Amino acid sequence: MALDTAPKGWRSFARYSMLTIVALFILFPVYTTVIAALKPGNKVLDNPLLPNAFTLDVLKNAWTEGRLGRYLMNTTIVAVIVTSVQLVTSIASAYAFSFLKFPLKRLVFGIFLSTMLVPLEVTLVVNRRTIDSLGWLNSFQGLTVPFIATAFGTFLLRQVFMQIPPDLREAAQMDGLGHWGFMKEVAIPLVRPTLGALGLFSFLSSWNQYLWPSLITTEDDMNTVQTGLRHLASSDLDKPNLIMAGTIIAAVPILIVLVVFQKQLVRGLTAGAVKG
Amino acid sequence: MAIKSRRLREIPLAFAMLGPSLLVLITFVLYPLGKAVWLGQQTCDVQGKNCKSVGWGQYTNVVKSDQFQHALWVTVKFAMITVPIGLALGVGLAVLADKQLRGMRFFRTIFSSTIATSVAVASLMWLFLLQPSVGVLANLGWLHNIFPVIKEPGLLNDSGTALWSVGISSIWANLGFTFILVTAGLQGVPKEMHESAYVDGAGGWMRFTNVTLPLISPTLLFTTVVLTSRAFQAYGEMDLLTNGGPIPQDSTTTVTYLIYGSSSIIKNNDGLQAAVAVLLFVILLALSALQFRGFGKRVHYGS
Amino acid sequence: MKTPNKSRLLLAGLTASALLFASCGGGGSSSIIDPGTTKAPASGDSGAPTEPPTTVATPLASLPACDTTALDSATGTVNITFWHGMNGDLEKALTALTDEYNASQTKVKVSLENQGGYEQTLDKYLQSSQDSRPDMVQAPEYAVQVMGDTNSNVPVGACVESAAYDTSDFLPKALNQYFTEGVQWSMPFNVSDPVLYYNKKVFEAAGLDPNKPPTNMAELRTMSQAIVDSGAAAFGLSLDTGADSGGGWFLEQWFAKLGELYSDNDNGRLAPSTKVNFDGQTGIDLLTELQALVNDGLAYNVGDNASGQDALLKLADPKSAAAMTIATSAALGTVLTTVQGGLIPGITTDDIGVGPMPAPGDAVAPGAIVGGASLWIVNHDDPAKAAAVWDFISFLITAESQSTWAAATGYVPVRSSALEVGPIAEKYKTDPRFKVAYDQLSQVADTPASLGAILGPQREIRTLSARAIATVLQGGDVAAALTDAATQANALLSAYIAANQ
Repeated sequence: MALDTAPKGWRSFARYSMLTIVALFILFPVYTTVIAALKPGNKVLDNPLLPNAFTLDVLKNAWTEGRLGRYLMNTTIVAVIVTSVQLVTSIASAYAFSFLKFPLKRLVFGIFLSTMLVPLEVTLVVNRRTIDSLGWLNSFQGLTVPFIATAFGTFLLRQVFMQIPPDLREAAQMDGLGHWGFMKEVAIPLVRPTLGALGLFSFLSSWNQYLWPSLITTEDDMNTVQTGLRHLASSDLDKPNLIMAGTIIAAVPILIVLVVFQKQLVRGLTAGAVKG
Repeated sequence: MAIKSRRLREIPLAFAMLGPSLLVLITFVLYPLGKAVWLGQQTCDVQGKNCKSVGWGQYTNVVKSDQFQHALWVTVKFAMITVPIGLALGVGLAVLADKQLRGMRFFRTIFSSTIATSVAVASLMWLFLLQPSVGVLANLGWLHNIFPVIKEPGLLNDSGTALWSVGISSIWANLGFTFILVTAGLQGVPKEMHESAYVDGAGGWMRFTNVTLPLISPTLLFTTVVLTSRAFQAYGEMDLLTNGGPIPQDSTTTVTYLIYGSSSIIKNNDGLQAAVAVLLFVILLALSALQFRGFGKRVHYGS
Repeated sequence: MKTPNKSRLLLAGLTASALLFASCGGGGSSSIIDPGTTKAPASGDSGAPTEPPTTVATPLASLPACDTTALDSATGTVNITFWHGMNGDLEKALTALTDEYNASQTKVKVSLENQGGYEQTLDKYLQSSQDSRPDMVQAPEYAVQVMGDTNSNVPVGACVESAAYDTSDFLPKALNQYFTEGVQWSMPFNVSDPVLYYNKKVFEAAGLDPNKPPTNMAELRTMSQAIVDSGAAAFGLSLDTGADSGGGWFLEQWFAKLGELYSDNDNGRLAPSTKVNFDGQTGIDLLTELQALVNDGLAYNVGDNASGQDALLKLADPKSAAAMTIATSAALGTVLTTVQGGLIPGITTDDIGVGPMPAPGDAVAPGAIVGGASLWIVNHDDPAKAAAVWDFISFLITAESQSTWAAATGYVPVRSSALEVGPIAEKYKTDPRFKVAYDQLSQVADTPASLGAILGPQREIRTLSARAIATVLQGGDVAAALTDAATQANALLSAYIAANQ
């Protein structure tokens, strides 16, 4: 039994009180949002901290008027495509860097690494023109293709692959196990936990993209939840409850995903801290 | 001999496995980077066409300009608000919740919940809190009697409080992320280390600074780098909460907002936009290098 | 060793910024816009007087043609896309009109594509290649020069000519706003101008006549004093400094009201402007007047804000309200529905008064310049598409459509015949609040000064003047603020000319 983990009297009481106070602070914006979203328009300014009226109409309105259902579907499609293709490309390139022998390997790896340092802001304007000239504005290609390869993921998986002793690969080769077999039997099972984490991380960042989708969509049908919210906010500030309802609808799905995949998330976010 | 032939034999396979990633990374990261560097010394018409080179002096002009220096200063202030406070809060929360107590899962879920809010969601929630007429705080009489700035002119509209308000909303939005990271770091600290320090008679605070902090330093470094880079690239918060204002102080016009903001005077000037963006890249590069060098040396990677 | 993270970070941040600051050696102020990076502009610049510029008329024949009969020979339905920037209630009204059009015939099908606002629409249009552009675009009134310089449009004038379309009952001002170089570039659709919104209940409580709003700033000052003294409201007037309202657009309006040119070369209508005039005495007097209102506690400055609606919301403030504000007439519909929705307890729609935009000082100047936006035909070298767009445009500007549109939104009908038909005929009679904006546009003869300026970087210049006005309303020096803004504006103008001509 650890010496200082036994909860004793006022110490644990103090800790619980602290936890509760902090939790209340963190939940305060969420609380006011939920309260507002469940109130009819004429009650919003009237005592903003108390649920003195209740209606589900506002949520319904945000769903239909704000077309958030459609936008949620778009966002889900984009996030799923980006995540799954990112996983495939990351495995492939990490495998190549770890187990294949080819000329200029260091140089190519250097190219990969260097892309990790370039912030999105620098590339946006030119990328928009590239997507335009490819005819990919307002398309899922435009929303996904620039993000389907990731140096971060490659780097991360390579770190794990490097833990496999070279002799193991040699031995497998002696046994007649080709690259494909080795990848399937040895390499992928080894990185499975990392893959879950990486996947969740990609999903989150893809879901929360804001600047890029707003630049390359001109059709309402192609809005994502984030750009749709921006639209809702610019049109209806006189209806704060409607906007708040919109933010709830946008946040709830990702909240559910997070609660379900909490374990992977922790691993995903700490993955970057792996010593290198 | 065998190795050499293998090097050549595996070229097609390597190409097939790396090709797609390389193609995407070169097309959407390296090519635009190069293009932006070149564009930074050009001037174009309103459609971004007919670009003419005006010389690399354009970069110097941008660096010298009031607008850029001001935006950079705002960005640095924003980072100095959000990174240390965000990190300290994240560590504090994680330590507080790092106990095997009943109901701790519940608290952990709450503390990590803000990670579910995107920039747009978090900013809109805070807009509804802070807006001076219909906002929540402005409609709590007792509160704005104590702090009149909440109503007049409003926390987002006062040049003294705007950056702090945006900063707090940003800290809040990032708190879940920081909390999860530090918690994971703490769980990696072997319990025996704690216990031996306890046996040696080290007090709580001493134990924390001498044992725990050094052990989670890799996590702290990583978190700091990510939070700093996020602070330097913050855009959505300003776009939704303040429009870079209030004017004329431009209290929340960060470098990113100077490039893309709707009230920026260079937003239809591709050359100047590119120049500012490339400078932002250089600064971020220098910052990460500094952080890794300066504080990476002290990072404790375990035994 | 204590919290190395924080101090290190601070150090790193400071070092990086110090490096950059060091490289610029602390010289005097300099702007990011450098008019000297490009070749000297053709005209302007102080020094020897150049020969006076003359209007260069662009012959229609040199521009993309419009054959309005091309639609008849087209097979099947012609699909056209329309980028617009209408939000909220305005978007609903536009959608209703478009649905009506789509249902009324089978030749053309219009798809509305909301870009989120004027700014976003224009920015996306400018960034896109011609192939990615829509068939029709709504561009704000400040974008005339920029849109013209893209050389990407079929001038509406060509279609008017081809269809022998009768524009005799149009508000001349609405057409003239989009007429330069002898070409009718685009068709006015949603025309607005600033009006005064006020709370009649407050006027009554202050012992003022709720049906006599102030017509100029001198009257506004007196009334505000009465309102504040009586405690009927905390402030007389709420002001903002947004670029498309109190910070820029209103300034242009006030210059036009006084018959003063906002910029040289006849407000940019003779040749591209090379300098702005708001740093002259007219501008100084105007801003001094506004500053005094704020200093004396009669007006309240809500500042610039992301929503652009704070000045109006200040009237709804439950605790320290203002009695009046100046805002676009296009907000009238939204204001009334909001009040009807019950957001502000104790105020009904009848309590909202609308008056003309107050003129500077004690001037009698009822006119206004055209705000809002116009419709542009995008050239895709497809006569059928251009003809289809024209067909839709001609639907949107019929007397009936304009009447419906104006009644739903508060925009001004672009033609006088619209006043005789449909809902607006009734509305103008029963609810004179809607007619205020129309009257402002039909009263003053058109001169370059009363039509307002057409500038390339007009939106950017508005953000500069907004900054000057914000400085002044916070107590800054009027002349210095205006001089600074004008210097930067002039740099923007010459940089624009150098890059685009």
